[in-house]
Amino acid sequence: MTPALDISGLTKRFGDKVAVDAIDLTVPQGSFFGLVGQNGAGKTTTLSMAVGLLRPDAGGARIFGEDVWSAPEQAKALVGVLPDGMAMPERLTGREVLTYLGLLRGLPKDEVARRADELLTVLELDGAETTLVIEYSTGMRKKIGLATALLHAPRLLVLDEPFEAVDPVSAATIKRILRGFVAGGGSIVLSSHVMALVEQLCDRVAVIDKGTVAASGPLDEVRGGRSLEDTFVALVGNDDNGVKELSWLSR
Amino acid sequence: MAVALTTLTMARMKVAILRHAFRGTRAQTASTGATLGSLLAAGTIYLAFTDPDLLAAAYAIWLLGWILGPVFMGGGDETLRPEYFTMLGLPPRRLATGLLVAAFVGVAPLVSLVALAGLPVAGALIGLPNALVAVPATVLQLAVFVLLSKLAVAVVGQALRTRSGAIASGMLNGAILAALGQIWIFFVAFGETGVPSVVRYLPSGWGLLAVQGEWWALGALALLTLLLLGAWAVLLGRRAGARQPSGRSRRPMTAATANGAIIAKELRTWSRDLVRTHQLTFALSYAVCFAAVPLIVGWNGMLPYAGPIFVVMAAAMAANQYGADGTALWLTVMTPGASDVRGRQLAWLAAQAPVGVVLTVAFTSITGGPWPLVLALLAALLGGAAGLVPLISVYGLVPGTDPHRRAGNPLRTSEDDSGLTGLAYLTLALVLVTGLPAALVALRYGWAGVAVGVLTGALCAWGFGLLAERRLRAQGPELLDLMRTGRRQRASVASRFDQLSTTQRALVWWCFGFGAIPLVPQGILAAFFVSSDMLRHSWFLATYMPSGLRYPVAAGFVLLGLAMYGLGLWIIKPRPAT
Repeated sequence: MTPALDISGLTKRFGDKVAVDAIDLTVPQGSFFGLVGQNGAGKTTTLSMAVGLLRPDAGGARIFGEDVWSAPEQAKALVGVLPDGMAMPERLTGREVLTYLGLLRGLPKDEVARRADELLTVLELDGAETTLVIEYSTGMRKKIGLATALLHAPRLLVLDEPFEAVDPVSAATIKRILRGFVAGGGSIVLSSHVMALVEQLCDRVAVIDKGTVAASGPLDEVRGGRSLEDTFVALVGNDDNGVKELSWLSR
Repeated sequence: MAVALTTLTMARMKVAILRHAFRGTRAQTASTGATLGSLLAAGTIYLAFTDPDLLAAAYAIWLLGWILGPVFMGGGDETLRPEYFTMLGLPPRRLATGLLVAAFVGVAPLVSLVALAGLPVAGALIGLPNALVAVPATVLQLAVFVLLSKLAVAVVGQALRTRSGAIASGMLNGAILAALGQIWIFFVAFGETGVPSVVRYLPSGWGLLAVQGEWWALGALALLTLLLLGAWAVLLGRRAGARQPSGRSRRPMTAATANGAIIAKELRTWSRDLVRTHQLTFALSYAVCFAAVPLIVGWNGMLPYAGPIFVVMAAAMAANQYGADGTALWLTVMTPGASDVRGRQLAWLAAQAPVGVVLTVAFTSITGGPWPLVLALLAALLGGAAGLVPLISVYGLVPGTDPHRRAGNPLRTSEDDSGLTGLAYLTLALVLVTGLPAALVALRYGWAGVAVGVLTGALCAWGFGLLAERRLRAQGPELLDLMRTGRRQRASVASRFDQLSTTQRALVWWCFGFGAIPLVPQGILAAFFVSSDMLRHSWFLATYMPSGLRYPVAAGFVLLGLAMYGLGLWIIKPRPAT
């Protein structure tokens, strides 16, 4: 079966620093794939290159077999993306953003209205019907971002830190939506540095460290008998870098 | 003691930030600015030797530059934002003092300080006490420049929180700038020859007054500095407050197609973004005032051009429209099937064309003509602007600060304000050029010019739009990356600028920086004045020539201007790697 996302040899340099160093990853269809790593490990850079938002120096990515860079229209229609910290059409309300994007994706007007209604209700954004996106809180921005990623019913979701700044109640809603999406045959890649969350949701994980894949595979295989957090620290932490204390703070 | 420590820390912080910021292209724009500024400063010092009245006038212009520059473009120097210090709980006066001292660190204050060296020079020419007074006078005068600039930005920033404030400040700024552009009319009207004496008594002239022996002026300067500092401290305290969410219900989006959606989004942004409201009213007010000011001397010949002037100004204001939207570009990159540029072009026309048309028709009816010329210009400029605005904004993209990350200063849409200013002037010049063919035909053959205007307008809108769309499609990820990081990726940038020698770079800057002077005022405008028999007109050389030479001289200047742009383009043209 064609993988939902197939990343091969993706490489990116920023100046002298190699941010992503020839990463290979395969996300099988129907899997819930977690990408974990420290800040600056290269998660966001990898995901940006995988969906066509950042041009790689080498390597490529295919979404359901469609090349992101040579067949962008086909590939990008199959994926919903939630990037971290990017702007939206800020002077639109949440509903207007969804209407705008749905039409941009070529959906019929009535269908857009129906889906927007449902998304706003489920994500509890309908109360903010008159609020412009620029006035949203960080958590609300995440939720409207997720709504735009889901709107065109893609078969693959690529979510960069989807739970950051989201309150627990909304997080539970989002988890339910995502699990339902996977149960219905969809595939998800999400990045996070919250290990408990990844263990809770994902069936496959990849640990990214300094731009390379330190470990990858089914969750139980990667973590062995330990918790994911222990495995992660063992994989990427420096040994001598154990628990340090601040001399002036912990008296 | 505490004040001294705060100010010293802030000044050092600013130096550190500037050291990091002035690299690459920003270092080049900054050094070009410094060079141009130094030339102006040298000219100002020269006036101190020759004509003190002119020196006072020169300082008035420096002050206007300090006040209007940041309001007009980019919101001024915000290397140290007041928001950085909110958690420290500094008293407002100490915060303002610290920020003021830090504001003295930078290229613009340094250049102004050099210009203010005219004060010691003027003092030394009079006597020793006067030269001594010049030292505190220079410092205080610079403080007044910097503070008035900060205060203007703070006041306009406050105004931009409400729609009526945005409109009012746009109107006022447009009127002031237009009046400055037409200042010769006021001189004619008041029968003044030379500098009006009131200029000497403006706050910009107080330093000079003190040096010339009117000692009270020194005390007045010190008092003004304190007052301005206090006022600024008050306004600094206000800007940290969060904006009230607007609870109004919104009219629903009725679009049914992708293009319709883009137009609807853009039109909503035009009406809801108060910075854009400010820009639109600015362009409108500038155009109306610029065209109406000559009425003071009983000449209404300028009135019909209010519409075309508005179109050109509005285009210059929108020059960085992709940059102003920030990283929202990712949505365009993710939906390659839709045509973002076409939608934006139509929305731009829908927002600006009605204003331009109404202005043109109304004002030209008052004067009763010249209809062919005005309509030809309007059609050509509208099309030219609709094509050039997206094209310039994707090719010359100045990375903006994402709207939701902007700090308390709504005017500050980008960290690179010299880049923004350059882009606005470039758009101004290029849009004017697109009106040229139609105007020339209309001058010679009348109504045929309108047909030419419609044709070139349509061609420009279609062709330049196509180029912009292609660029956006091919370079979308690179533009997004530029927006996200503020850095151009060396490998994929088409400009050869980085590989040029210093001489070539200087040449390019001169070509692009000054090409507009022979092309527009000395070429196009002069030809226009010659054609309407306005001879011996201010500094337009062609109008002083004997009759046979007038058009050739103007044409020569047009050619010179075009040649300068051509040479600049040729030097930076990408070449296959060798």
